[in-house]
Amino acid sequence: MLALDIQNLNKKYDHFQLKNVTFQLEKGYIMGFIGANGAGKTTTIKSILNMIQLDSGDVRIMGKRMAEHELELKQDIGCAFGGIEFYTRSKIGKLTEVIKPFYKNWDDDTYYGYLKRFKLDENKKIAELSTGMKVKYNLAIALSHGAKLLILDEPTSGLDPVARDDLLDIFQTLVIDGEISILFSTHITSDLEKCADFITYIDNGQIINSADKEEFKASYRLLNGKESELGQVKDKLISYKINSFGFTGLIHAKDFDPASEIRSALPTLEEIMVYFAKKEEAYV
Amino acid sequence: MYNLLVKDFKLGVNPWYLAMPVLTGALMLVPGWIYFLVLLYFCWITIPNMFAGFRTHNDLMFTAIMPVTKKDMVKARVLVIVCLELLHFAFAILFGAINRFLYPNFEYYFFAPTVGFLGLCFVMLAIFNLVFFPIYFKTAYKHGNAAIASITAAMLFAAGAQWLGIANADVSTVINDTGTGHLAAQSSVLIAGIAIFALFTMAAYRMAVRHFLKVEL
Repeated sequence: MLALDIQNLNKKYDHFQLKNVTFQLEKGYIMGFIGANGAGKTTTIKSILNMIQLDSGDVRIMGKRMAEHELELKQDIGCAFGGIEFYTRSKIGKLTEVIKPFYKNWDDDTYYGYLKRFKLDENKKIAELSTGMKVKYNLAIALSHGAKLLILDEPTSGLDPVARDDLLDIFQTLVIDGEISILFSTHITSDLEKCADFITYIDNGQIINSADKEEFKASYRLLNGKESELGQVKDKLISYKINSFGFTGLIHAKDFDPASEIRSALPTLEEIMVYFAKKEEAYV
Repeated sequence: MYNLLVKDFKLGVNPWYLAMPVLTGALMLVPGWIYFLVLLYFCWITIPNMFAGFRTHNDLMFTAIMPVTKKDMVKARVLVIVCLELLHFAFAILFGAINRFLYPNFEYYFFAPTVGFLGLCFVMLAIFNLVFFPIYFKTAYKHGNAAIASITAAMLFAAGAQWLGIANADVSTVINDTGTGHLAAQSSVLIAGIAIFALFTMAAYRMAVRHFLKVEL
């Protein structure tokens, strides 16, 4: 079953546009939604949550159209927006008292269980929490109302490596029983190397690729060659860099002849992002 | 809807704004003052501060991610403001009655705190609501222009009505009569004022919803 099915989202702004954004997230998996700053990650997430008016497109969550079942579906969605804070001068306990009546499946035992597990003190104010603890509080809220789909916009931004690792472990634990699915946007690709099952890459408002993580990486090759060899592949490269040793470039695996003498390797997610961004620069 | 009201009163409405009706209402005790100012303090102080608080705390996003409709978000916010306005009215009426008891033979130059004057106050806040909500909900966070426009409109009405009360002997006689001689006419003004308040606020709510549905969060 698909936890999230996004079809042909289009939204035009003066200086930016989402173009035919399409991808699917299977129930019980973590999808990393990657892209550079300004690539359209947050706009896509806001489209999913019906926060912006789309020019066209369709969002289905657990098989139901978001446009028609927004209230019902929001009962099953948990959100966290990295960097956006709410009522920071209020205590956790007070904020929870306000939030919980909105959710019909709210479970106090689950809530207090997560507070304990995440070491959150109800008497602390939101402003007194570290960035990582704020994300954990959002997760505690989402999980206490039985959210089946977690939509997290850059939840690890601003976290130190230890807090990031801790959070990624939590994400992995959450999806183990196959009930919860996570869409997790970030520009920190190393997070996804560790915990994502699927990768969706958005660049300049368009989905470049959406696939199983290994398949995603395997669909590209990072080439290292002498400058004299560049001519053999130059037209097929997504982009390349010249350095004193020769060139390094990214190519679609299908466009690369393995028999070639040019050295090739599987790129990291970061390298894929960097070379796609470089391609954009070339057209500016 | 009820949950949204509770949310606003618990998180967005500082307890001071609940004390303000008592503090500003007590200004009704100043003999011979321009009593329109008593209710205008709500527009000058409570409205800008409260809406600045909503913006600072990212209330719009906080509310939008919860299972609520945009229509209910507007309805709740309008109801919160109307509740506060009515609280200001309640204390203004209370202290207005005390004023009349303390100064039974006072010669009022400006409007006296009478039933008729109360009707005019309802019209003033009706105008405020009619201008404020539709402009505010064009963005749901920029409250400055909405406050300036609505406060200006309310003050222009107050100034115009007060000028009429000074310049026109008939208006002055009817509205400033602290006895029972013009009670029927004053009651009519009050009823008309309440009706205008209700109608304008409903119209403001409908326009605000129409604007807010187009807002991209």
